[in-house]
Amino acid sequence: MSWFSFRTDRREAPAHPVAPPPAVAAPEVHRSLALPAVFEALSRLPKANILDLGPALGANVEHLSSYGCRLTIEDLFLTKTSVAEGDLNADLFAELLPLPGGPQFDVVFAWDLFNYFSRKELAHLTARLRQACKPGAQVLAFLWIHKSIPAQPIHFRFRGTDELVYDRRTALERPGPRFQPAEISQLMSGFHVDRSFLLRHGIQEYLFVRE
Amino acid sequence: MFSNKKEEPAPHRPAEPVPAARPATPASSSHAPAPPAETARRGERATIGPSIFIKGDLTGDEDLVIEGRVEGKVDLKQNNVTVGKNGRVKADIHGRVVTVEGEVDGNVYAHEQAVLRQAGAIRGNISAPRVVLEDGSRFKGSIDMETKETARPGAQGAGPAPAPSPAKPPEATAAQAAAG
Repeated sequence: MSWFSFRTDRREAPAHPVAPPPAVAAPEVHRSLALPAVFEALSRLPKANILDLGPALGANVEHLSSYGCRLTIEDLFLTKTSVAEGDLNADLFAELLPLPGGPQFDVVFAWDLFNYFSRKELAHLTARLRQACKPGAQVLAFLWIHKSIPAQPIHFRFRGTDELVYDRRTALERPGPRFQPAEISQLMSGFHVDRSFLLRHGIQEYLFVRE
Repeated sequence: MFSNKKEEPAPHRPAEPVPAARPATPASSSHAPAPPAETARRGERATIGPSIFIKGDLTGDEDLVIEGRVEGKVDLKQNNVTVGKNGRVKADIHGRVVTVEGEVDGNVYAHEQAVLRQAGAIRGNISAPRVVLEDGSRFKGSIDMETKETARPGAQGAGPAPAPSPAKPPEATAAQAAAG
C-alpha cells in the first residue's frame, strides 16, 4: 500500500451499523500552561529543529514559520493505523525518525499521542526520542487522566503562544491508559519533568526536558 | 521546452490551452524590436495532460501545470509549477511558486512559496520562505522555513513569560488552569 493511500484505506468502521455515530463536538479553545515555555525557548533559538508527531496542520506550520525553524512532521498515529500490531517496534521508529547526524531536535510536539500507544510501543518511541533530542530539548506531551478518552488523537492547533484549539476528530471513545507518575518517569528516563499542569478538562500537560 | 523523453505520447491533448501562435519576426526588422524570449514567454503556461508520462528532466522558462505523470526532475526556478489534481510527480521540483494539488514523491524547492492544497500530498522535504498547508492535505517530511528575524514572536520579550514552576502537583496547578 502506498503512502498516498493511507487515508483512503483506513476508514474507520462505525461502532454500530445502524445507529448514527454521535456528533463530533465543535473545536474548543483551551489555555495551555506549558506552551509559553516552548515558544519562549523557540524565540531564543536561531533556527530550531522541531519534530511534530501529529498531522500536518496548516495553522501550526504557519505559526511555526515565524520562528524560522526546520519542522519535521511525522504523523505517528497515521503510521500506527497503517501497520500491523506489533510492527511498531524500535526498528520502525528508527526508520520513521532517521538521525543521520545524531540528536537533532530542539523541540518535540508529542501532543496526546502517548495515550494511543501500548506500553511496549511507547517504550520504543520514547527510547527513540531519547536518541533524537539534543540535551536541553523540550518534549510537550499531554496525558489524559480520564478513564475514557477520544478514540483518536485530537488535532491541536496553535492560537497565539498560550492557547490551543482542540479539534476532536471523532465522538467515539476508548479506554484511557491512566499512566501512573512512576510509569511516566520510567518511560521518559533521560528526561526530567520541567513542568506539569493538570488542566480542568482532564489533560495533564507535561513539559519534559532532555538531560 | 522540455529536454525529456516522452515514453507514452498522447495522441492529442484536448484540454490544453494552446497559446496563440506568435508571428515570426525577422531579426532585421526595422519595426518595434522583438521582445526577448524570456519576456515573451512570461505569462505563458504549459500543461502536461493527464495521459502523458514523462521520464527525465524538465527545464524551461514558462509556467507549468502537471496533470500527468512525471519522473525525474522539474527545474523551473523562475516559474510557477502546479501539480494538478491528476498529477503524479516522482521528482524534485524547483520553482518560484510550487502548488501541489496532486501527489508528489520528492523534494519541493520553492523560491517564493510552496502551497499544498487540501487534496494534495507530498512525501519529501519542502524548502521555501513561505509554506501553506491546507487542512486535509497529506505531508510527510521536513519543512525548512527561512528565518524571519523581524517576525519572531517573543524576540523582544513580547511573549508571555512562562511560570517557572517545575512539576507542580496537580491540585496546585488545577486552579491556575481555570482558563483551560
